Amino acid sequence: MITAERKPMEEIIGSVSPYRRILLVGCNECVTVCAAGGRKEVGLLASALKMHFAKEGNPVEIEEVTLERQCDPEYVEELLPRMDQADAVLSMACGCGAQEVARRYKEKPVFPAVNTRFMGASERQGVWAERCAGCGNCVLGITAGVCPIARCSKQLLNGPCGGSTSGKCEVDPDIDCAWQLIWDRLKALGMQERYEDNIPAKDWRTGRGGGPRRIVREDLAS
Amino acid sequence: MSFQKRLSSGEFVVLAEMNTPKGVDTSQFLGFARKIKGRVDAVVVPDMDNGIMKMSALAGGVLMQQQGIEAVIHVYSRDRNRLALQGDILAAHALGIQNLLVVCGEDISCCDHHDAKAVNDLDEVGLLRAIQTLEKGTDLAGMDLNGSPSFLAGCTIASCPTEQSLEEEMEKARLKIATGARFVVTPPVFDVAQFEPFLAELKTLGVPVIPTVFLLKSVGVARYIATNEPSAGITEDLIRRIRKASDREMECVRIAGETVAALKQKVEGVRIVTLGWEHRLPAILDCAGL
Repeated sequence: MITAERKPMEEIIGSVSPYRRILLVGCNECVTVCAAGGRKEVGLLASALKMHFAKEGNPVEIEEVTLERQCDPEYVEELLPRMDQADAVLSMACGCGAQEVARRYKEKPVFPAVNTRFMGASERQGVWAERCAGCGNCVLGITAGVCPIARCSKQLLNGPCGGSTSGKCEVDPDIDCAWQLIWDRLKALGMQERYEDNIPAKDWRTGRGGGPRRIVREDLAS
Repeated sequence: MSFQKRLSSGEFVVLAEMNTPKGVDTSQFLGFARKIKGRVDAVVVPDMDNGIMKMSALAGGVLMQQQGIEAVIHVYSRDRNRLALQGDILAAHALGIQNLLVVCGEDISCCDHHDAKAVNDLDEVGLLRAIQTLEKGTDLAGMDLNGSPSFLAGCTIASCPTEQSLEEEMEKARLKIATGARFVVTPPVFDVAQFEPFLAELKTLGVPVIPTVFLLKSVGVARYIATNEPSAGITEDLIRRIRKASDREMECVRIAGETVAALKQKVEGVRIVTLGWEHRLPAILDCAGL
């Protein structure tokens, strides 16, 4: 999923302070799962903003709505009846969702209330970690299901650097060395000889190297 | 007199672009340069021009300096992060290069190594700010330098086919100038009369304007540019002139020389770009009366 974290309150307040009628829009997908921008967080942020501006003697109207998916035009359309009553939109979705709202409602300023972080997985309750960098050419099949692009700090493709110590990365002792994980998995699978494979320099065209990316499925495109 | 002094004293400056070799044989690069030594104020050395991997501009600039030819080297952010850029800028100063031209590199997808990963850590304004910061004695991390460099830094402006793009480009140019760019290099000029309204806008920037004069080489090149960049100012008359000439190559050289001569009365300098035809530079200068 796409992970996000709420922005600091001061930053959110700063962005919406010129406006008196705010449409606060959450998303029921990834940001709900990582507890950053779902219905619950929308409610909490709305209360915090109302309290802040009321305390300043400058009350605001905040309408709360949480869409099924904010990155989908079909659901973003549901905001239409509410837009007339809004001076600005505050989005609690990832950057994809906030941009979709901005694209659809060109006349309304749209501000992000969260920082989109990475594509990751839940390690345990309340902890998410990066797992995929969206490079567009998956190497998991040759790296025993552990991604060195997303999980090695240096994105190394042919074994660890000298900073790998006791299975941990030199960048942070809380980060596992991706190449240690790859080695452990290969060993467990009895595929140690794979470790000797020389992986050529990566072709980044499928990643950001080719500019902003699109997928066009001719069989589905209308 | 140095390029910087000539520019600040209002004298017409002539820059000639020379591409570094793709390889280590510098004989042609240096040979062409020697032929224009004393006839141009500085040689502009692009870095991986048009996204083609070549010897670095830093090395090319130093080789020019060793020949007694002042160099202006391109700097841009596609291939280097802020550490590498700052390191190279310090190296440039230490090796005698006094002039930097901050450019926007070709997108990595258009390069001859299109599978490479672009860096793009800083944009052009960010890079100009890095140069300013180094000149003030610190790096971008705020650490003190042991000796600070100084440069004449310039910037480029893109072509502006529409009024909106002109507005955007001018705004960007003003920002670059506020961040230390002290001259601006324009896209190629083929029709001086058509260039005049753009030039009038550029004059408001308050820094010397250096238009590019591009050697067309053939009818095919002229037709290609006219088709793909209609705002470039290549007219049917110009294409016809090349087509009807008995020596088309020489006609292209004459056109470039005449353009330089026509611009001389209007701007502070020119950059002559021959893109692989550096051997034609002396003839262009002859035709321009320089």
